[in-house]
This record gives sequence, C-alpha cells and structure tokens, in this order.
Amino acid sequence: MRYIIAFFSTMLAALPAFAAQPTPGALNFQEPATRIMERVIGFANPLHVGMALVAVFVLALLIWVCIRYNKRANPEPRKFSHNTLIEIIWTTVPVIILVVIAGPSFSNLLYQENEPDLVQIAESGDLNDPNVFVEAAKQGWITVKAEGMGNWAWTYYYPDEMDADGYQVQFVSNAIHYGLPSDPPATPEKPRYLATDYPMVIPANRYIRYQTASDRVIHSWTVPAFGVKTDAVPGRLNEGWFLVEKPGVYYGQCSELCGKNHAFMPIEVRVVPQAQYDRWIETMKTGDIDAATEMVQVIDTTDEATRLASVE
Amino acid sequence: MPMDEIALDHGHDAHDHKPGFFTRWFFSTNHKDIGTLYLVFALVAGIVGYTLSGLIRMELAEPGMTFLIHLVSVDAESIRAGIIEAAVNAGNVGAATDASVLAQVNEAILTAKTEASKSFYNVVITYHGLIMIFFMVMPALIGGFGNWFVPLMIGAPDMAFPRMNNISFWLTVAAFALAVLSMMVPGGNGVNGFGGGWVLYPPLSSTAGHSGPSMDLLILSLHTAGIASILGAINFIVTILNMRAPGMTLHKMPLFAWSMLITAVLLLLALPVLAGALTMLLTDRNFGSQFFDPSGGGDPIMFQHLFWFFGHPEVYIMILPAFGIVSHIVSTFSKKPIFGYLGMDYAMVSIGAIGFIVWAHHMYTVGMPSDMKAYFVAATMVIAVPTGIKIFSWIATMWGGSIDFSVPMVWAIGFIFLFTVGGVTGVVLANAGIDHALHDTYYVVAHFHYVLSLGAVFGLFAGWYYWFEKMFGLKYNKMIGYAHFWIMFVGSNLIFFPQHFLGLNGMPRRYVDYPDAYALWNAVSSVGYLISLVATALFFIGLFEAMIRRRKGEANPWGEGATTLEWTLPSPPPFHQFNELPVVKTEGGH
Amino acid sequence: MAEDVKHDYHLVNPSPWPLLGAVAVTTLAIGGVTYMKGLFGIEQGQLWALAPGFLMVIWVMIGWWREVIKEGRTGDHTPVVEIGLKYGMVLFIVSEIMFFAAWFWSFFEFAIFFPARVGDTFDHLSPVWEGLNNFKEFPPVGVETFDPFHLPLMNTLILLLSGTTVTAAHHSLQHGKYDNAKLMLWITVILGLAFSGLQVLEYSEAQFTFDGTIYGSAFFMATGFHGAHVVIGTIFLAICLMRLYANNMTAEKHLGFEFAAWYWHFVDVVWLFLFAFVYVLPHLALGH
Ligand code: HEA
Ligand code: HEA
Ligand code: CUA
Ligand SMILES: [Cu+2]
Repeated sequence: MRYIIAFFSTMLAALPAFAAQPTPGALNFQEPATRIMERVIGFANPLHVGMALVAVFVLALLIWVCIRYNKRANPEPRKFSHNTLIEIIWTTVPVIILVVIAGPSFSNLLYQENEPDLVQIAESGDLNDPNVFVEAAKQGWITVKAEGMGNWAWTYYYPDEMDADGYQVQFVSNAIHYGLPSDPPATPEKPRYLATDYPMVIPANRYIRYQTASDRVIHSWTVPAFGVKTDAVPGRLNEGWFLVEKPGVYYGQCSELCGKNHAFMPIEVRVVPQAQYDRWIETMKTGDIDAATEMVQVIDTTDEATRLASVE
Repeated sequence: MPMDEIALDHGHDAHDHKPGFFTRWFFSTNHKDIGTLYLVFALVAGIVGYTLSGLIRMELAEPGMTFLIHLVSVDAESIRAGIIEAAVNAGNVGAATDASVLAQVNEAILTAKTEASKSFYNVVITYHGLIMIFFMVMPALIGGFGNWFVPLMIGAPDMAFPRMNNISFWLTVAAFALAVLSMMVPGGNGVNGFGGGWVLYPPLSSTAGHSGPSMDLLILSLHTAGIASILGAINFIVTILNMRAPGMTLHKMPLFAWSMLITAVLLLLALPVLAGALTMLLTDRNFGSQFFDPSGGGDPIMFQHLFWFFGHPEVYIMILPAFGIVSHIVSTFSKKPIFGYLGMDYAMVSIGAIGFIVWAHHMYTVGMPSDMKAYFVAATMVIAVPTGIKIFSWIATMWGGSIDFSVPMVWAIGFIFLFTVGGVTGVVLANAGIDHALHDTYYVVAHFHYVLSLGAVFGLFAGWYYWFEKMFGLKYNKMIGYAHFWIMFVGSNLIFFPQHFLGLNGMPRRYVDYPDAYALWNAVSSVGYLISLVATALFFIGLFEAMIRRRKGEANPWGEGATTLEWTLPSPPPFHQFNELPVVKTEGGH
Repeated sequence: MAEDVKHDYHLVNPSPWPLLGAVAVTTLAIGGVTYMKGLFGIEQGQLWALAPGFLMVIWVMIGWWREVIKEGRTGDHTPVVEIGLKYGMVLFIVSEIMFFAAWFWSFFEFAIFFPARVGDTFDHLSPVWEGLNNFKEFPPVGVETFDPFHLPLMNTLILLLSGTTVTAAHHSLQHGKYDNAKLMLWITVILGLAFSGLQVLEYSEAQFTFDGTIYGSAFFMATGFHGAHVVIGTIFLAICLMRLYANNMTAEKHLGFEFAAWYWHFVDVVWLFLFAFVYVLPHLALGH
C-alpha cells in the first residue's frame, strides 16, 4: 500500500502541470481551464445534443416519408395542403426551444462580458458559488495588455508593474516555428506552431483583466481553454477578464486573418503559482528576460495551491 | 451546347425568328438566352472556384508547407547569385561549387518559396470565397434560373427590361475579368493578388496591408458586380410586379418567383451599402481619406458593420432561390400541391426582413457592448423559426404524397437534410457566449459550407436536373445523375463534417498550416475533396453525354405533379413564348 | 417583332450597347487603377488613363438612351411598359437612398464615437443615446466648420426653390403650356448650376480637407456624392429641356421628364438631411 501511494505521488510530481492544447483526433473542445470555458462547454454540449436531435428529427421524418409515401407504397397522392394545428405546432415548438436556449445563453454571455466587481465579491461573495472566487477577489486585479504587432508577434505589457527606471514591464513574444526549413524541431515542450520564445506569464487563481490592442492590422487574442477571444483592433482598446484555476501551459493562436504569418502567431500562456509569478516579475523588472523565462519553464508544483488543484 | 441547336432549328420554324449567332449571344435581349449565358458563365467560374478549393485542400491535406510551394515562383537565380557572391566576397573563391554553399542556396530558395506560399494561400482562400459567392452561386441561381424561369412561370413573354438584363450579364463578366486580373497583379506584399479574406477587412485591405493595385481592381470588380446585381434586381422586381399573366395574383404566384422577388429586394437594399463601404475603402487607399484609419479618427470596425449589413442579407440572397427551387421539386415529385403555400411565402419574407437586423453576429469578438450582443443573439435565433416552417412544410408536402425519386428529387431531399445540419450549427454560433470560442475557427467554415456548398449548391444541382430538359430540350442520363448525387453527398460530407471537430478543438480558419494534432481530420477532409472530384467529373460527363446523345426532351417529363406554366411550353420553349398571354384561372391555385 | 404578338409588353431588339457598356466599364476600371496605382508599366497619376473608359461610357450612355427615346416615340412604350419604367425608376432611387445610407451611417458613427475613440481607451460600454452628447466634440476642436446659415442655407433655399420650379414645369407640361414649361425648366437648370457653383465656392473656402481628418473625409464624401448627384440631375433636366425644344415630349408622354423631376426631388431631400445633420447639428452642438 505504501508503495502504491508513493508510486502515485511521484507520478503526480512528475506529471507536467495541467496543459491545454489541441489533441490528435479530438472531437470536441479542449479541456477548460477557466470558469468561463467550463460554462461555455456546459452550455454548448447539451446545445449540440439538442441541435443534433433537431437534425436527426428532420432526417427521421424524411426517411419516414420516403418509406411510407414513395410511389410504390402510396400510388395515390392525397391532396391536402393545409393543417392549421400542425402549422401552429411547428411554429411554437421552435420558439419554445429557442427561448429555452436563450436563458443559459444570456446568463453565459453576461458572465463572460461583465467584469466582476471584486470589491463586492471580496466582501459578500459566496465561498461555495463556483462563479466567484472570493480569495482571488481580495487580492484585486492583475492587468495584462496584449498588443498585436505588424510583424506577427504579440507584445505583452504589465501596466501595474514598473521596473527600476519607471517603465512598464513589457516584452515581445515571438513564434518559434514559422513553417520554414530553418525551424527548430518540435518537442513536447515546444509544440509546433504553438510555442513562443517568451511566453506570457500570469499567476493562477487571480482575476486577470486583459486588454488587446494592435499597431497595424486586426489580430485576435485567443486561448481556447480559457474561452477567450478578443480582437486586437488598431485604434481600440478591448477588454476582458478571466481567472485560471489550474497552473499549467495554455496555447492559443491568432484568430483574425492578419497577413502572411497569420498562422504563425501563437499565444503561449504560462499560469504559475503566485510565488513563482512574483519571482518572475521581479526578475523581469531587472530586465533579464531570459532568466525570467527560464524560471517559468518548470511550473512549480510544490506550491500548495498547485498541489491541491492537481490532486483534485 | 444549345448553340448548335439553333443551327438545327433554324429554318424549321418560320415563326421562331432567331438572330444570327453573334447577335443572338452577344447582343441578346432574350431572357432564356441570357439565362443560358449566365449558366455557362457560372459553370466556368465554378470550375475556377472549385480548383481554388482544391488548392486549399491539398495544402491542408497534411501538416507542413507541402503543396503550394510547388506552385509559387520565386526569383531563384538572384537568390543563388546573391548568396554565392556573398560567399565569394567572404573569401570562399570556389563558392559556386561548394556543397555547403549550395545547400545554403537551396534552403534560401525553399524559404523564399515557403514565404511566398503563405501569402499565396491567403490569396487562394480569398478568391475561392469571392468567386464561389459572386460568380458561381449568384449568377447560377439568380441570373441563370431566375432569368430562365421567372418570366416562364408568371406567364410573361420576357423580362421587363431585356436590354438592361443583358448589361447585368455582361457587367458580371466584366467584374469576373477584373477579379481574375486582380489576382494576377501585385498585391503589394510581395505576391500577386489580394490575400485579406473575402470580407475585405481593413486595415489588411487598406494601404497598410495591401498597397498594390490588386486590391483596387478587386474593389472595382465588386462595384461592377454590385451594379450588375442591382440592375438585375430592379429588373426582377419590375417583371414580377408588372408582368404577371392575367389572373395570377401575387398569392397565386409560384414560390420560385416569390423567392426571386424577395432575393431581388434584398439585393436592392443591401448592395448599395456595400458599394458605399467599398468606395470609402477606395478613397482611403488612394485619396487620403481616413474612414477606416484610426490615426485620423476613423475606425476599421465601421467597415465591418457596413460589410455585414450587406453580408448577412447576402447569405439569404444565396439560399432563398434554392428554397424556391426545392419547393417546386418537392411538390412536383410528391404529386401534391405545396403544403402551406402562404406560410412558405411569408416565411421567406420574414427571413428576408429579419436578415437585415442580425448582421453583427459576425462581429461578436470585435468589442461590442454586451447588451448589443444580447440583442443580436436574440434576433439571429429568431430566423430559425421561419426557416423551420420551410423545412417542415416541405416534409408535409411530401407527407401523403406519391413520391417519385427522380434525380432532382434526391438532390432536393439531400438539400433539406444538409441545410438543416448547417442551419442548426448557425443557431449554435448565434449564441455570442459560444461564438467567443468558435468564431474564426473551422466550426464556422463547416457551418457555412453546409448551408452554401451543401445547401445552395445542392439546390443549384437540383434545379439543374429539374429544368435541364426544359432548358435544352435534351434528356440526361439518370444513372449519371444519381451517381453524381451519391458521390457528391458522400464526398462533401466527408469534406465538411470533420471540420466541426477541428473548429471545436480550436483550429483557426485561414491557416496555411496547423499544429500536428489537427492532422487526422484535415486528412479526412482532403480525401473528401478527392471524392467530390469524381462527382464533379460525373456532372460534366452527364452534361456531355446528353449533348452528344441528343435524346429529344418532352414538354413535361415529370407528369401530373408539374403544374407551373413552364411545363405547358415545348422543350426547349420557343424563342418568344406567350405571344398570347396565358390566363390563370381564378379558382384553385395553390 | 413582327410575329403576331398579342400583348403590350416591349420585346426589345438585340442591342450592342450592353456588351459595349461592359467593355467600357472594364476599360474605365482598369484606367482608374492605372491612374491610382500604375499598371502594365504605366506610371501612376496620369489622368489620361481614365479618358478611354470615360469616353466610352459616355458614348454608350448616349447611344443607349437615344435608342430608348426613339422607342418611346415609335410607340413601344405602351401604358403597361410605362408603369414598368416607373417602377424601375422608383427602385433605382431606392437603391440610391441605400447608397447614401452608408455615408450617413458612417458620419453618425464617427460623430457619436469620436471622443471615445481619440481618448486612449474606447469606452464601449456607454449607451448610444449618451453618445449624442458627443456631437459637442465633433468635429474636433481645431476643425473650422462652415457656418451653416451662410452659403449652405443659401443652397438649401436654392434647392427648395428649384423643387418648386421643376414641379411648376411639370404642371405646365401636363397642360400643354410648353413655353411656360421651358421657362420653368430653364430656371430649374440655372438654379441647379447655381447650387453647384456655390458648392464649389464653399469647397474652395474650406478650412479642412478630405484627407486630413475623419471629419473632412465624412463631410466631403457625403456632400461630394450629393454634389455629383446634383450635377447628374442638372444634366438630366437639361436634356429634358433640349427635348422640349425638339418637340420631343408631349403633354401626354413625357416619362423622361417625370424621371428627371423625381430624381431632382430625391437630390433635394438628401440635401435637407445633409443640411440638418452634417451642417447644422454639429454647429449648434458646438456653438461656433
Ligand atoms: C447560405 C448561406 C447561409 C445561411 C442560410 C446561413 C444561416 C444562418 N447562419 Fe450563417 N454564415 C454564412 C452563411 C449562411 N448562414 C456564412 C458564409 C458565414 C461566414 C462568413 C465569414 O465569416 O466568412 C456565416 C456565419 C455565421 C455566423 C458567424 C460565425 C462567426 O463568424 O463567428 C453566425 C452567428 O450567428 C451564423 C448564424 C446563422 C444562423 C442562425 C442561420 C439561420 O438562418 C439558420 C436557420 C436554419 C435552421 C435553424 C435549420 C432549420 C430549422 C428547423 C429544423 C427548425 C427547428 C430548429 C430549431 C428550433 C433550432 N452564421
Ligand atoms: C458558395 C460558396 C462556396 C462553395 C460552393 C465552396 C466550396 C468549397 N469550399 Fe469553400 N469557402 C467559401 C465559399 C464556398 N466554398 C467562402 C466564402 C470561404 C471563406 C473565404 C475566406 O475565408 O475569406 C470558403 C473557405 C473555404 C475553406 C477554408 C479556408 C481557410 O479558412 O483557410 C475551405 C477549406 O477546406 C474550403 C473548401 C471548399 C471545398 C473543398 C469546396 C468544394 O470543393 C465543395 C464541392 C463543391 C462543388 C463540387 C461545387 C462545384 C460547382 C460547380 C462546378 C458549378 C456548377 C455550376 C452549374 C451547374 C451552373 N472553403
Ligand atoms: Cu495575427 Cu492573425
Ligand atoms: Cu450572418
């Protein structure tokens, strides 16, 4: 028994922290990493079942009429062309279905769209409500701005964090693979078309306010596992929020056609425990971006919060 | 194809005066000839659009930049010369034969080709979308079948403005020529053609994204296509309002004519707005205005609003004629009148009307206020109701009927099912919350190909097999028609169904290459394309077989179910029909 | 169409104009791109590149409409055909209205969201109606707008007056008072020319340009397209005047005139909207 526990705990330690990226042959969404995406999936899955039923229902009716009313089975066509009752039914039933869809749709939309009021959550949030994170709310917002660049890279800004000279922490995040012969080989740590040289780093279990902007053409900042996609439009500053519970590495790809290297403009987000994030940002402030990035290559699973999350 | 018929028929029928070949086909003022011209044109454009889709599928068949690199040309000579000269200057005198230098040269050439093929891919998808929409589906359904059958069905001798009808056609050809030319002149980013997607969003379509003349030609091409369509729309509306046979009230008019009336109104109201947006884009590019340029206070999102105000009605412009065709086919081969004729009518009217107030569901991610999104969610979903009325009324028309599974009927049944599949994924996308995850992924590509490539195109083929004999006076081989259907059914489902999975798993659209995890479903999709190639070959074989065998067509091959006026005329109809107007009996009707 | 046709519709003879028209448009488009960007080795910026296409378009228009006029006079335009032509003209004007909808839409968008946009955050959460206040800040400070109660008001009066004279001409024509109709039409055409002249004068005094700011772009695009429509309308009316002198229109049959008049009223109404929203509203809100 002791052996078994030991075996599993080493497995846990050895496991890379939670990561979300496309899986070969997958049929559905990537693993959700935020409450937003959990809710999207929780809504989309039953909706898909419902829509499949509608399509199957239409198919079943078609098959039935083809069998029952083909010219061999029914040589004499009937001549009716009206039936008020059935017309009322097939008008009202879809209306009812749509109203049923609209309910969760709106609540889902409003949850994603409306920036939570952290002060209120911190004061009166329900610890058992999965939609709010009271502990995180007490610590306030972390703001990150992602700017899409003309040369198909993302620049990340941390407007709350100033370095010694009073400048915002900021850095450019480039793709590693460009579909060129000179590309380095892909590895599990650096998956092709998803990995970047300097990833965006944020702490787990904190409310993140992200902003998107662009210098030349429209891009779109997307992380499927977060359920987040916001266009980066020149002349606008778009905003959104999310909170990632599980530390790990999350990948996304630019989702608005932006020219030649549109397919080579990945988004890599490393979600690390707060303590590791603090170390990272302090190092970033010294300007040593390579050292800072090195520090987040391994996500610190010894951290209390991380262990809880990955055991759970 | 019908061209040699003219030669045949000439002289047989003294009453049927046809002008000589050149006058007849180039100066035409005859709605049936112009309809035929449109169909031939759509066939040519369809081949181009279809070939481009083949390039897409071949590039995406496997991960890696594998296919388009063979099609792009780069200046290999100057790359070679440059590298060798640099090596020589660096002291390597034998560089020209040094293996390592040559390897370097090869890699540089490959790199240049890869870079060029990235841009070329964007060009390919852009023109694929534009050509399929503006030069294949619209000319075929509206220009082709609309021209042919609206006058015949309403008992009119021709369109209201026959000469204007012809300029609509030739302007469409002019627009296509400009579009093809625009594909061959510099786009401004190193390759020829514009690669910003069929939606032409600035700043990618402004000077900042594509500075070359290609985009300007494309703008003028779409202006021209727009003028052509507006003139055509005016023509259809006037014809339908003013030239119905005595006794044919609007509520007795066949549904295909109704669908064309609504389509024409949508064209008339939507296209000028696109023209406005394109004009602003043109002046932004060339005369320094700042409509879509934030540095002067303009806004790129403004273009998206104007574009989609046109773009969403445009998608119904493409599907409503198919709805009309399917109604006729279903009724003909069930040998039953249309179920709920008035409901069918007003379902189309409301689809058209609501179609104007849902446009921003294409823009959920641009940063709109959430209450605006909520409004567009609700408005968009409402369209499912009238569309459902259409689907169920078709089934109810078949219910109790005596169904004849003729070639057009199987296409129509395929249409009903596949359009439903595309429609319900539209309802999924309508939910802004979910669309945040699915926007600009292959899920959207799957959605709109189900409604377009498996909807509008299936309707197009259904109409083709329904009216082929009427139009050309020739019988086609039914077995080829069935084979075409089944292979196409399998092929196109194989192309597009797996794309739902790709989209759900996060694969963005307009990607020349993708992470390896997406390999499986992309391979399946490309195999589906190869199957559709067989189907398309069968389509042309069927066409040529009919032309060569020349089995004489009947006036009404479909029997008692075919009740509309075109079946009262010989096949092909005389050059001028209804010299004496038919009178529609007042009782009965639909 | 010699066969025994027993209906009143007009079956038009085959005509070369549509094909020539399409060739003309293609030539014009290629010429336009050559002028704007340079094409086929020709340098950009050469106005003559537009000439061939432009001349061809004019030629096709003249040839085509001459044919229409001839058909109208030889009895092809039966009552039912006339109704069709009228529907056609109305629908054409409807499409023109939608064309102008694009300019107004963009003008309002820019006006309402301008302050939000030039500030460094785009406050996308404020409701639209609050945005109306933003007219206070549009056009932005530094853009010297026109005083609407100066030349623009004058132009408004000119157009309104021309609307009445064209109606008077129509009435005279319907009652066979050809001399009066000619006089009234002369006045209308002259008023149209006066409008265009004043508009040119106003443009020449503008303190802002098409390519400077969004205000200039939106202003010149909207008023410029309106001005182009005034010029087209004036030409349309002038042709009717010539046809009156040629005894080419009668009290009973003068569709061309009616269409010109409808078109002119359309141009008139568009101006009223321009005047109210593009000239007066920002001026009042801004108060200078
Ligand atoms: C023929 C063309 C066509 C048609 C008919 C439709 C029909 C619909 N479309 Fe589609 N759409 C496109 C062509 C079309 N679309 C294209 C080309 C794009 C992408 C453009 C681009 O970005 O390039 C697009 C994109 C698109 C988007 C944007 C996605 C994105 O970019 O993120 C959305 C979102 O709302 C949408 C929704 C819908 C809906 C709700 C319908 C509805 O009309 C469907 C209604 C039909 C049904 C629902 C099925 C039948 C009904 C029943 C059987 C009744 C019972 C059903 C219920 C109760 C649900 N479409
Ligand atoms: C009507 C519209 C239409 C049609 C028919 C098609 C048909 C096809 N499309 Fe289409 N496609 C679009 C409209 C259409 N597409 C649009 C608008 C886009 C978006 C562009 C953008 O992103 O900007 C797009 C994008 C698009 C993509 C995504 C590219 C990307 O995002 O990177 C892909 C990928 O596989 C694809 C594949 C195909 C294939 C394999 C076919 C076909 O091979 C399927 C089989 C179809 C046929 C076999 C029909 C052939 C018809 C004829 C030959 C004419 C017959 C004529 C008469 C009878 C008169 N298309
Ligand atoms: Cu950046 Cu696409
Ligand atoms: Cu839409």
